[in-house]
Amino acid sequence: MHPVVETQGLTKRFGPHLALDGIDLSIAAGEIFGYLGPNGAGKTTTIRILAGLLQPSAGRAAVLGLDVVRQRDLMQARLGYLPGNFVGYDDLSGEQYLRYLANLRGGVEWHVVVTMAKRLDLDLGRRIGVLSHGNRQKVGIVQALMHHPELVILDEPTTGLDPIIQREFLGLLADVRDAGGTVFLSSHILSEVEAVADRVGIIRDGRLVVVESVERLKHRAVRRMDLTFVGAPPLEVLSSVAGVREVTSSGSTAHLAVEGSTAKLLAVAAPHGIEQIVTHEPDLEEIFLAYYERTDRLA
Amino acid sequence: MTAYVFTKTLRDQRRALIAWSIGVTALVVVEGALWPSVRDMPNLDEFLAGYPDALKEAFNLAAMTTGTGFLNAELYTLVLPILFLVFGISRGARLVAGEEESGTLEVVLVTPVSTTRLLLEKAAGLLTALCLLGAVAGVSTLIASALFSMGVSPAGAAVGALSMMLLGLEYGFLALAVGAMTGRRSLAVGVPSVAAVAAYVLYVGGLMVDSLSGWLAWSPFHQALSEGPIASGLPFRYAWMVLAAVVVVAVAAPVFARRDIRAT
Ligand SMILES: Nc1ncnc2c1ncn2[C@@H]1O[C@H](COP(=O)(O)OP(=O)(O)OP(=O)(O)O)[C@@H](O)[C@H]1O
Ligand SMILES: [Mg+2]
Repeated sequence: MHPVVETQGLTKRFGPHLALDGIDLSIAAGEIFGYLGPNGAGKTTTIRILAGLLQPSAGRAAVLGLDVVRQRDLMQARLGYLPGNFVGYDDLSGEQYLRYLANLRGGVEWHVVVTMAKRLDLDLGRRIGVLSHGNRQKVGIVQALMHHPELVILDEPTTGLDPIIQREFLGLLADVRDAGGTVFLSSHILSEVEAVADRVGIIRDGRLVVVESVERLKHRAVRRMDLTFVGAPPLEVLSSVAGVREVTSSGSTAHLAVEGSTAKLLAVAAPHGIEQIVTHEPDLEEIFLAYYERTDRLA
Repeated sequence: MTAYVFTKTLRDQRRALIAWSIGVTALVVVEGALWPSVRDMPNLDEFLAGYPDALKEAFNLAAMTTGTGFLNAELYTLVLPILFLVFGISRGARLVAGEEESGTLEVVLVTPVSTTRLLLEKAAGLLTALCLLGAVAGVSTLIASALFSMGVSPAGAAVGALSMMLLGLEYGFLALAVGAMTGRRSLAVGVPSVAAVAAYVLYVGGLMVDSLSGWLAWSPFHQALSEGPIASGLPFRYAWMVLAAVVVVAVAAPVFARRDIRAT
């Protein structure tokens, strides 16, 4: 089977400025892929090439096995796309606008639109021109998903959404994946993507720095733990275990920062009589920033 | 009324079209109302004889003694052409370049609708709007003629209106085409405006300066306005304006298909 998204040496120049420098990417069906990077890294540029709106300067890109330049319209028919700066027609109501796009696409079941609008708490009867920023964004989300596309590409989709709607939106993306669809979404905030993505790619200065599953990233992440012992915490023993980065204590509790697996640490600590273990979710943000810094040092 | 790009385009024109129709009708009828007093001027011929030859030719002043000639000179050689040009260029520039700059084009292009089909449907929308405005000009001319006994024939009014519509079409399509090729509204307005002024200068210059007269036939204003435009027969020259309009859109389509769409 074809990868749903595949790029080889994808390069984009804007005049002398190199915005994308040889991106090689492969995303399989049924995956939610988070595309991360700081401002100006090249996320939007990649996405607009995949959507058929920009021509690559070099390299190639295929979406659903279709070349994004030569088979653009076939590809676009099977794609859902939310631009980073979504703009609808101000003089149309949400319903008029979505019916227009549904007609251009064909094959949209209207009840899907109504259900999705209800889920996102979007009033389809109001003119887009009078909607708040977040509500306009909801119109954009509905148009990207309403035709059950095989691939949905979303450029920073959660801008302007309140936390409750954000959760609802992430639920919609999970539904797409559960139905066999593929999601490609960009963000510069890791925690937003972490919750829903299977894999993330980190781009910086037009180059893909790393592509990794969220699980693996988490595994590598620094995990904070609190171990409460029956007696005084054996600090010396704990700090000698491989992977332990930091040890402090308060009373009978030891606070640790551990990289990678915690199994070995627990094995060593157990004979000393553990009363309670509290593990904190690993902070991917730290890894994320580490990748940025690493490329900084290389540059 | 928003099932296709074409119907959406028409829908977007409806307010402008109503306003412009009212304006054109009012202009034609008010101009017509002046006719009885002009006709009854005792020394109109002498008065006209004092004008420079080129002016007489450009505005066909010799024919001012008939209702048809009066409308040709007073409306159909300058004021109405300018109105149709402004309508065509401003509307044409909005269709692709305007939508691209505002950002609404982005999502519409990521559908099975190709850039070429979008361009053609928008062109068809502009053509329809110009036909309607042309029909308004023709009908209001006939109404004015009937009210003030100007003696304009229906065929004459139709040819005159067609010539206005074709002027608007040629430069409107140029605006659409430049917008589709560049995505910039300023260029989509600027290029056809400059082209129209140049063509008008060539037209008037060709009438005054002998060395330019050979080039006269190239000016769309010559094609549209000479011998009328309210005249009895349908001049073959009009075909050149249709051809030019078709060519600019045909040239724009492959460029539009291959260029980067500007992000907002
Ligand atoms: N049309 C253009 N002309 C010139 N340079 C451009 C153009 N579009 C993008 N760039 C440049 O290409 C680089 C990548 O931009 P891009 O919009 O892809 O970044 P991004 O990762 O989406 O950033 P953000 O998080 O701010 O949205 C930037 O340096 C930007 O200035
Ligand atoms: Mg961006």
